[in-house]
Amino acid sequence: MENNLVYSSSPHIKAPRSTRQIMIDVCIALLPATLAGIIFFGAYAALLVALAVIFAVIGEFVYLLIVGKPFREIAKNFDFSSVVTGLLIGLTIGTNYPWYAPIFGSMFAVIAVKMLFGGTGKNVVNPAITGRVFIFISFQWAVGAWALPNIGSIYGDTVITSATAVPTVAEGVVPKIRLLDMFLGTGMQGCIGETCKIALIIGGIYLAARRIINILYPTICIAVAGIMTVAIGGFDFALFLPAVLSGGLVLGAIFMATDYVTTPNTKLGNIIYFIALGILTAVLRYATKMETVSFAILLMNLTVPLIDKFIIQKPFGHFKVKKTKGEK
Amino acid sequence: MSVLKPKRFPYGTPIHGTKLSKNSPTETIPAPKRVYISLSQHIGAPALPVVNVGDRVKKGTLIAEASGAISANLYSSVSGVVSDICDIVNGLNQRQKYIIIDNDFADEEEFLPTLSDFEPQTLVERIRLAGIVGLGGAGFPTAAKLTPKTKLDTLIINGAECEPYLTCDDRLMRERTQEIYKGIKYVARALKVDRVIIGIERNKPQAIEAFSEFNDVDVVSLKKQYPMGSEKHLIYVTTGRKVPVGKMPFDVLCCVQNIKTVLAAFNAIENNIPLTEAYITVSGRGIKEPKNLRVPVGTPYSELIEYCGGKADDTIKVIAGGPMMGKALTNLNMYVRKADSGLLCLKNSETSTANPTNCINCGMCARFCPMRLMPMYIESYALHGNFGEAERYGAMNCIECGLCAYNCPAKRALVQSITLAKSKIREMKNGK
Repeated sequence: MENNLVYSSSPHIKAPRSTRQIMIDVCIALLPATLAGIIFFGAYAALLVALAVIFAVIGEFVYLLIVGKPFREIAKNFDFSSVVTGLLIGLTIGTNYPWYAPIFGSMFAVIAVKMLFGGTGKNVVNPAITGRVFIFISFQWAVGAWALPNIGSIYGDTVITSATAVPTVAEGVVPKIRLLDMFLGTGMQGCIGETCKIALIIGGIYLAARRIINILYPTICIAVAGIMTVAIGGFDFALFLPAVLSGGLVLGAIFMATDYVTTPNTKLGNIIYFIALGILTAVLRYATKMETVSFAILLMNLTVPLIDKFIIQKPFGHFKVKKTKGEK
Repeated sequence: MSVLKPKRFPYGTPIHGTKLSKNSPTETIPAPKRVYISLSQHIGAPALPVVNVGDRVKKGTLIAEASGAISANLYSSVSGVVSDICDIVNGLNQRQKYIIIDNDFADEEEFLPTLSDFEPQTLVERIRLAGIVGLGGAGFPTAAKLTPKTKLDTLIINGAECEPYLTCDDRLMRERTQEIYKGIKYVARALKVDRVIIGIERNKPQAIEAFSEFNDVDVVSLKKQYPMGSEKHLIYVTTGRKVPVGKMPFDVLCCVQNIKTVLAAFNAIENNIPLTEAYITVSGRGIKEPKNLRVPVGTPYSELIEYCGGKADDTIKVIAGGPMMGKALTNLNMYVRKADSGLLCLKNSETSTANPTNCINCGMCARFCPMRLMPMYIESYALHGNFGEAERYGAMNCIECGLCAYNCPAKRALVQSITLAKSKIREMKNGK
């Protein structure tokens, strides 16, 4: 009897990808946006992002220590999902927030939204989105004016495009903004990570190339949101690009809405989810005159169990059964 | 005839893993001193021994008889003396009855009677007599498969060999093309079908070339996409027919046979040799010289490993079969069965021993599942004991190919849970 053999069920080989690997890839994909944010908004932006990440990780460790897991085991099983959560929270607040806002937001997101439900994979809604909404609602009293980015408009003048582009677009007024500015994030006010669209798109392409997300889904979401805005605004197609490039739509669609845990499990389910998300974003923007991507994602997260309940893959050879029954 | 293209099948995925023994020709190993022949080498009832302890047998002497329609004859693989008939708990933790024969190295052979004609009925009867079972791994008695209730129109030969590491089918297709071709013709005759398709994965270009010479066999070059060797999927990509849920290949007028099965049929029909040997790939990084072997049924696995230069000390898993569907052994008390096709010794770097973590709902398992199931739900219901709901999600359709667990980033043991659900559902149904 040789006791050194491992006895386990098949398959005996597995793909190299692990949960931790996926989370690290998401972090890498967020790096361009993080760097752009720090370049545009300076050291204070770096501080906010760093605090958000550090306290998200601390939140996870503190919770697990409280429930009695040994430190070594926590460190061994650490899957970097709280780093992603912290990073996303840091990137979705502006530099007009007080420094303690991301601390509360990250702790709330990781402990209340993720760990209390059972850790990675068990949360009902996306922790980063919830943390962002938590900060948005709780720290309204402490918010100052939007900070100006370090790099002005590439058109050379001092006209600053404000985050208020969202309500004007929603009202059907084509704002006086420069699309190239919106694309590069130059001269744009807004949250740390959401202004530089090109950095976000590079990150999205990286994730798609690593086959972590299907680029189809965020594209659907962004396109539907743009078309819906156009439709609400009386089919003025000049609204399309400003609607698509303003606010947190690109960031939300690529990095937050595609979170595995809070998206449906089937292809059809995902398409429905992202179309509904695009419509909801545009409608809520029109109705509230605010940036509503995070609220739209939060609401759609709650519909995922419903979508998953009704949209189930049919087994291979399923339709044939119906046909043969009919023939008989 | 020209090489045909397969029908597109969007699920399943190519898997990593090397075919280490691709270039080593099939070798016949010297007969062992003692063979251990299991009476349950096939699906269905165990065979009944017809020899007693102390009897002298030749190579090819009938030692156990089929005990029903779904059962198969067994023949001695060496000449010698029956030294014991007893129960052994083998390396797969199965308690099975074994006939143990001591080899006297006299190499006397006994043959089946020569066939008087080649009528389909006679051929099927010969295949039944020779104890031939599906050699792709399942071990379903071939004769039962060759007597369908309806008349079939297509015979599909499975040369996909989609499991990584395994190369014995590939080698046979290259080395014994003529014999396999004749075997295919006999099986087609037994089935009374005209159309013969042979599906070979594109990573075996020499085998595809070898078979494209024949005019009356269509070769389909399959994409390297696991699990193309699965019966239902092979039928779909080669003929475009979908086997309905819960039905068998003969419901779509197809019959699938493995390369080794048709070779065994050829030997039984033309050379009057019953099935007493197996073709097996001994591979894995834990093996010094990976090889393709032709071995007598009943040879201990330890002798195969020894013949291939022994296994490395840091081998952590020994597997009977391929890495995707094979079974891990608890010890080396295991003996070659008819339908064996692989013996792998894997090192830590090749195999996965990561602990499972929470499901992150990524949907990879459902995305790649060739049966279009949703393994995450079946697993979750199975773990919560709700087997009725697991059945509603199609647990019984699972072919246990292992692709869900292969792709799972959380390294969950999906196949294990689904297999559990299947056996519990079967129990529930039998109980009612």
